[in-house]
Amino acid sequence: MSLWRARPNTLVLVGCAILAGAVAARDPAWLDIAIAIVINALVALSVGLTFGQAGILSAAQGSFAAIGAYTTAILTLKLGWSPWLALPFAIALPAGLGYGLARLVARLAPLAVALATLTMSAMIEIVLRSWDDLTGGYVGLAGIPTVWSGQPIAFYALAVVVLAMAVLAYENLMLSRFGRGLTTIRADRARAMADGIPVPGLLSAAFALAAAMAGAGGWLYAHYFSYLGPGSLGTELSISVLLMMVVGGARNILGPVAGAVILGVLAQLLPAQEVQGLFYGGALIVILLVARNGLLGLVRREGAL
Amino acid sequence: MAYIAELIVRGVFLGAVYGLLALPMSLTFVTVGSIDFALGSYAVLAAAVGSTFGGIVGIGAGLGAALAAAAAMAAIFAGLKRVGVDEPITISLASFGLAVAIGSLILWVWGTRAFVLHSYEGVWVMLGIRIGPQSVINLAIGLLLLALVFFLLYRTGLGRMMRAAAINPLGAELSGIPVTALQTGTFVSGGLLGGVAGLLILFSAGLDFTAGLSLTLSGFGAAILFGAHGPIRAFCGGILMGVVEALSAGLASGAVSAMVPLVVVMIVLALGTVGGARFSGDRP
Repeated sequence: MSLWRARPNTLVLVGCAILAGAVAARDPAWLDIAIAIVINALVALSVGLTFGQAGILSAAQGSFAAIGAYTTAILTLKLGWSPWLALPFAIALPAGLGYGLARLVARLAPLAVALATLTMSAMIEIVLRSWDDLTGGYVGLAGIPTVWSGQPIAFYALAVVVLAMAVLAYENLMLSRFGRGLTTIRADRARAMADGIPVPGLLSAAFALAAAMAGAGGWLYAHYFSYLGPGSLGTELSISVLLMMVVGGARNILGPVAGAVILGVLAQLLPAQEVQGLFYGGALIVILLVARNGLLGLVRREGAL
Repeated sequence: MAYIAELIVRGVFLGAVYGLLALPMSLTFVTVGSIDFALGSYAVLAAAVGSTFGGIVGIGAGLGAALAAAAAMAAIFAGLKRVGVDEPITISLASFGLAVAIGSLILWVWGTRAFVLHSYEGVWVMLGIRIGPQSVINLAIGLLLLALVFFLLYRTGLGRMMRAAAINPLGAELSGIPVTALQTGTFVSGGLLGGVAGLLILFSAGLDFTAGLSLTLSGFGAAILFGAHGPIRAFCGGILMGVVEALSAGLASGAVSAMVPLVVVMIVLALGTVGGARFSGDRP
């Protein structure tokens, strides 16, 4: 009971994930979709942390995921490392890059920061496309080793564990004094500065944590799909996760995860891959117009969390 | 040396298109305090429609399509204002959604092919520098529209109202200036200018469905290069952006030249001149 009070989001997530896994396990196609949704949810969670809590609209989370994925792909393929050994690097590299970027721009107005992340993401994409020797350029990297012999159900469990750890870290952060600092910054930046909260430092730390989550998502992606090309992650994912966050609700911890599930299931009903952007972009606009705080925001208007 | 000079001249002509994109970008940035991420998509849409019909009909249809898309953005903006959303970041987010939707629509209807038309054959040689007639037309149209925007902003009553709404929205509203209507109109003007830019690119280098966001970024970079104050600075920013891009394209590899505009944007942003003064302005 006290655990429920203290960490409700993590428990809700784990409960739903076990149920969903039990249902999806009957059909390999659905299990495949479920794994993709969990990976998307992890990256969406990271954009929820930057926008919902730190107020930074990041258009670079997909690129951070791409960096995590390419890091582990290069370490395992070219240097023969174990995926587990590569995991810390796949998390640390995006986190470091995110921290540096945020330190550079966190003191600016929100719009300028959003553009800086978009610019950063475009730069990362160019590097990944043109550094042929390392990233395989347009051809990409194939044959990335799987973990645990690639059993889908085992991989689903692994992805859920990673996602649950990220949600737990997020939840712990929001209950700590750093989280309270972030809340103050979002509500009133001048007040936060007057209170002695190190505004740029704290925002950068939150951004780095989000980039780390995205990197972990990239690690999962690389080892599940075992192929990486310039189109695998990157801008398209950045945009999709932004939409998942808006649909689910950025302020709620589980909002982006809920958005990832809803859109991941709905996307299966679309007639063609090309219209996905039309559907996603349209949904983003409609949700902003109709339910600004996302669907979870509608459910919990009072905001217990 | 002649090669460098040719690159610079080529850059000036290329920059005219960026200048055209920078004009509405700085107008929206100043009057609404926000950014229309879909601006580059209007340009791509105009080029796609224009290439389908061709000729004068194509130009008209392309501009019409771009205007219609911008009108959609204006309607979204008005709708967001009506439900009480006026944070610039949310408006940008909505325009981002529109940009994605337009990009997807273009991919769906036209596929991945490149849009390019050639209007004039041959080149003129002046002092050993080769110039295509289309580049001269681009620069002329760019300068003409710059003059028009300048005249509108500083010589007409409408322009005075726009400037008042930009400096002090509340004060302007109280003096009976229809601020929201002006801001909505600014979004629509983005469709016109962005559409012209797209058609000019269609008749020069050409583009494909992926160009939208990078055009938006180039236009934004041009708009902020000399500070987002007024149309002339924005247009000059575009010219400089074009020169830098042409120089890096001529002297370095493709990846480096694609990187240069982004690095410029990043440096200008990091210097903190854009919206930096609004740092403590978070308070209403």
